[in-house]
Amino acid sequence: MKTNDENFVINLAISVGKIMLESGAEIYRVEETIERMISSKIDSKVDVFVLPTGIIVSAKSSTDSITRLERIQSSKIDLEAISRANSFSRIYTQNSLTDEELDVLLMSLTDIPKFSKKTTMFFTGLAGGLFTGLTGGSFLETIITFIASLSVGLILDKLSKFKPNFFIKNIIGGFLIATIGVLSYFLFKSFGINLDYNRIIIGSLMTLVPGVALTNGIRDLISGELIAGGARILEAIFIAIALAFGVGIALQISFSFV
Amino acid sequence: MNFILQVILSFFSIFGFAIIFNIPRRSIFLASINGMIGWIVFFYIQKFSTNFILPPLIGSLIVGLIGEILAIYHKQPATLFIIPGIIPFVPGYGIYYTMFHILNNDLSNALSTGVESIFVAIAIACGVVVATSLTRFIRPYLERLLN
Repeated sequence: MKTNDENFVINLAISVGKIMLESGAEIYRVEETIERMISSKIDSKVDVFVLPTGIIVSAKSSTDSITRLERIQSSKIDLEAISRANSFSRIYTQNSLTDEELDVLLMSLTDIPKFSKKTTMFFTGLAGGLFTGLTGGSFLETIITFIASLSVGLILDKLSKFKPNFFIKNIIGGFLIATIGVLSYFLFKSFGINLDYNRIIIGSLMTLVPGVALTNGIRDLISGELIAGGARILEAIFIAIALAFGVGIALQISFSFV
Repeated sequence: MNFILQVILSFFSIFGFAIIFNIPRRSIFLASINGMIGWIVFFYIQKFSTNFILPPLIGSLIVGLIGEILAIYHKQPATLFIIPGIIPFVPGYGIYYTMFHILNNDLSNALSTGVESIFVAIAIACGVVVATSLTRFIRPYLERLLN
C-alpha cells in the first residue's frame, strides 16, 4: 500500500508544503504542516527546514534516512490554495486513507479555482480607487486611481509573459502609476480643477505594496524563524525600494521638464 | 454621513483586495466585514490620537481577534480572514513620502518618515501575533461555544 510508503509520504508532504509556500503562507505554518503530515504516517524522527526559496526535509528511522530538497521559485498570494492545502493536510493526518480515497482527496489540490482575469483586474482597480476615497480623496481622484490601478494591473499582467524579475517589474509598476497620476494632474489643471496627485499615486501603490510579505516576515521572525523571516522582510523592503524608485523617476522627470 | 461613507468604501476596498489574493468564495464576505471593522477602529483611533503606532496596532489586533474566531467557526486557517483586513494599514503612505523627501534632498524628513513606516509595519505584525497568542488561551472554550 503506497499510503504508508516512506518515500511516497515524504514526497506528498513536500508537494503540499510547496503549494502553501508558493501561495504565500507563513514559514512556521508550512514547517508545521509538513512535519505533522509525515509523522502521522511514518514512525521516524522528522526534521523540516523551510526557507522562502526552498524546502529541506529529512526523516531518520533506525535503519536509514531519507532527505529531500525542493526548490521554490516564486510566490504569489493565493488564499484559496492555502485553504485547500490546509484542509487536505488536516484530513490526511486525522484519517488513515485507502489509495482510492487519497486519489480523490488529491484532486482538490490539482485544480485550484481562480477568479477570472477580468474580475481580478476590475477589483484591483476598485481596491486602489476606493482606498483613495477612504483616505479623503475626492470623487474624481477616486475614479482616476481606479483607472490607474486597473491599467497598471493590466500592463504588468501583459509583461508577466516575459518573466521580468520582481525588482524590474515593480520599478515599471511604480513608474506607470506616477506617470498616470502626474499626467492626470496636469490634464485637469488645464481645466482649472486641482487634483492631489500624491493621493492618486498612494492609492494605486496600495495594490502593489508588499504588505503581506512584510507582516508574514515579521511574524516568522517573532516565532523564531530568523533566517526565513529575515529573507521575507528583505524581499519586501526591496519591492518597496523598487516601487519608490519607479515613482521617483517619473516624478523627477515630470517636474524637471514641465 | 462620513461614517457611512467610510463603512461602504472600506468594505468594497477590502473586498477588492480579497479578490486580488484569490480568497475562497465562501469566505469573501466575512473577510471583508472583518477588514471593515478593523478599518473603522483604525480610522477613529487615528482621528483622536497623535500616536502613529497605536492605530495600526489596535486595528490589526481587532482584525486578528475576529479573524481567529471566524477561523475556528469555519475551520479554516485564520490567515484567510486576516490578510485582506490588514492591507489598508500597510504604510503605503510612508513609503511614498519617504521617497518624496529623498527626491527633494530632505534627508532628515525622509529618515523620520522611513523609520515611522518600519514601525507601523512592525506594529501590524505585533497586533496579529498578539491576537493569535490570545486566542490560543481561549481556544478550547471558543471551540466548545462555536461548534
